[in-house]
Amino acid sequence: MILDFPQLISQWETLPVHVFTAHEKGEILTIGAGTASGAVSGAIQGTASGAVTEHWKWPEQSNVDLSMDWKKAARITAGIDVGSVSSQAVVLLDGKLYAWSSVRTGSSSPDSALKALNQALKNTDLTLEKIPYVVGTGYGRVNVPFAKKTITEIACHARGANYMGGGTIRTILDMGGQDCKAIHCDEKGKVTNFLMNDKCAAGTGRGMEVLADLLRIPIQEIGPLSLKVEEEPPPVSSVCVVFAKTEAIGLLKSGWPVEKVLASYCLAMAERVTALLNRIGVEKDFFITGGIAKNIGVVKRIERILGISALNSALDSQIAGALGAALFANALLEKEERGKS
Amino acid sequence: MNTTRSLQDLIKPFRDWYKNRHSYAETWKENHSQQVIGMMCTYVPEEILYAAGMLPVRILGGHEPQDVTEAHIFGMFCPFSRDALAQGLKGKYSYVDSIVLSHSCLHFRQTFTSWKMHLPLKWSYYLPMPNQVQSPYAKQEFQSEVKKFKEFIEKEIGKTITAEALKQGTSLMDKNRSLLRKIYELRKKENPPITGADAVYMAVTSQFISKEDHNTALEALLEKANEFTPSRETGVRLMTIGSENDDVQFFEMVESLPATIVCDEQCAGSRYFWNPTIDAGDPIQTIANRYVDRPPCPTKDYPERKRFPHILNLAKEYGVQGVILMQEKFCDPHEADNPALKRFLEENGIPTLTLEFDSTNPLGPLKIRVEAFLETLSAEELFS
Repeated sequence: MILDFPQLISQWETLPVHVFTAHEKGEILTIGAGTASGAVSGAIQGTASGAVTEHWKWPEQSNVDLSMDWKKAARITAGIDVGSVSSQAVVLLDGKLYAWSSVRTGSSSPDSALKALNQALKNTDLTLEKIPYVVGTGYGRVNVPFAKKTITEIACHARGANYMGGGTIRTILDMGGQDCKAIHCDEKGKVTNFLMNDKCAAGTGRGMEVLADLLRIPIQEIGPLSLKVEEEPPPVSSVCVVFAKTEAIGLLKSGWPVEKVLASYCLAMAERVTALLNRIGVEKDFFITGGIAKNIGVVKRIERILGISALNSALDSQIAGALGAALFANALLEKEERGKS
Repeated sequence: MNTTRSLQDLIKPFRDWYKNRHSYAETWKENHSQQVIGMMCTYVPEEILYAAGMLPVRILGGHEPQDVTEAHIFGMFCPFSRDALAQGLKGKYSYVDSIVLSHSCLHFRQTFTSWKMHLPLKWSYYLPMPNQVQSPYAKQEFQSEVKKFKEFIEKEIGKTITAEALKQGTSLMDKNRSLLRKIYELRKKENPPITGADAVYMAVTSQFISKEDHNTALEALLEKANEFTPSRETGVRLMTIGSENDDVQFFEMVESLPATIVCDEQCAGSRYFWNPTIDAGDPIQTIANRYVDRPPCPTKDYPERKRFPHILNLAKEYGVQGVILMQEKFCDPHEADNPALKRFLEENGIPTLTLEFDSTNPLGPLKIRVEAFLETLSAEELFS
């Protein structure tokens, strides 16, 4: 069933737009020109019970290590990574991981930062006022009001990866919501060189979300589904979010099964980031951070193209930036204390 | 505090000229009743134009979105060539009587050709400047071209340009070059009183403000220069390398991080004024030699890349800790040099960051790249 929200879009009803809708198996039901109201009702998919399913939505998460006691810690620090799509908070006790969260970024960076921190601390009685040093990072880093210092996510991801995967890591690929970065670092996790994608968001997490919505496949299932092809299809010709969407519809219409379309999109994304990695050079060990690191369809393809395996970590790949920021906060607080004594 | 204010007062004329360049030229024209000449490359021997009493102004872009050059210049030509033409088509340079292009790159030649076809001019002149400046015949060849250009101008003004006038034009230009060099000397200090953005204002305005006025403002600043100490955190010492990069917003953003741009190798900067003339007897030969010998544009830097050792010398003299390679989008001559230049600098222990520039630039994405680059050069306290 498709929901209609005429009350929401009454003022748009006369605007001509193109409308695409597809059903679960990917067959195109309607393609053509219509009004904005049709486009909106097509974009927001409903279930028979009336609840809205937004397939792009990945679950917000948090965790706390209850075996640790923050009251016994000498130094409590936090890192907040306000990204373009998701925000993370990490809290450390004496430099050890205590609590973390990963939530969706809202329209306000300060609110998203606070939301992430509250989420991380929700099962504890620790509060923001008791954290003396917070470092902000990410796209919204300058808008973390309670951060004492901001550090770029490039430095933070390298430091976080160094904690998560160890000092042997030399190359990091961070695949975020709206950009990706290839980073080289030394044994301490200090950045020695880096490259970012050009200024558009093609082939990043946001593109994957758009595809999930278009194909009505929960975003976590895209990776595994994309590997269910007998033969690897050619990549879509563009990972531009807009063009890829159009191309995916064309491929579905020409009879491609959904998993083949997904394989084609994941491959294009993998090729784009490996081109970035090859420009900087890939040195062992290799580590992937960011949301796309959770997409096995992209990760496996990157590993195949590079002929190298990415190190695994028990920790969530998305918290690397916030973790690095919290580790820097710990180093800075320690330095402050040394200065006082 | 007083010192800072007076430094800002002395820099203010350059900032004002940068913003109000067109009204300056219009007023100049009214007061002098002489031609204003649009020069389309820094290889134009302005000495001749000053000797003829004219005002040469370099045609530059406006760093604003525009939609008027689509029909004139290919999309894969550099944004600067389009932005500069757009300023003409939009009537910003309506006071320009005539234009001169010295031969350099194909992209800007299209700006010249389209300008000539579509905008009212008294005359236009294409001045062949040998690309192979390393040839033993380059000076002789360019001398003959400068001579032809002088004769052309003489016909235009209806009188002879005397040897004395040529010498005056040359010494006016040389004085400006030497004053700008003194300004750059200040940037060698451990705490440079002049920011990179200030230097851009000064170097770029020298390309379109009458050298007499420009010299007066530079002298006023230099007179007090030794009293100044910066009131800002100076941070990492950077050098910028590029072509026509005068987007001051970028320089100001970099220096707010903080960092200080202590030197540059750009045609909107040091490359324009670096070397003075050396007397060769014949005043025309003196002028011609100066352009053949100047720090070359990459279009003219072959078969040997003479620019590279010059850049390394600058980096060493100015205590540069990192270089930002400012790649103007689609500027092929620079793009062809940059991979080799990057390797060359890094082999000599100077880290680089390459950034791509358009006429208008998104500061946010550029900022994160520069910030991260600065973190690789410092931020030791985070790892102790």
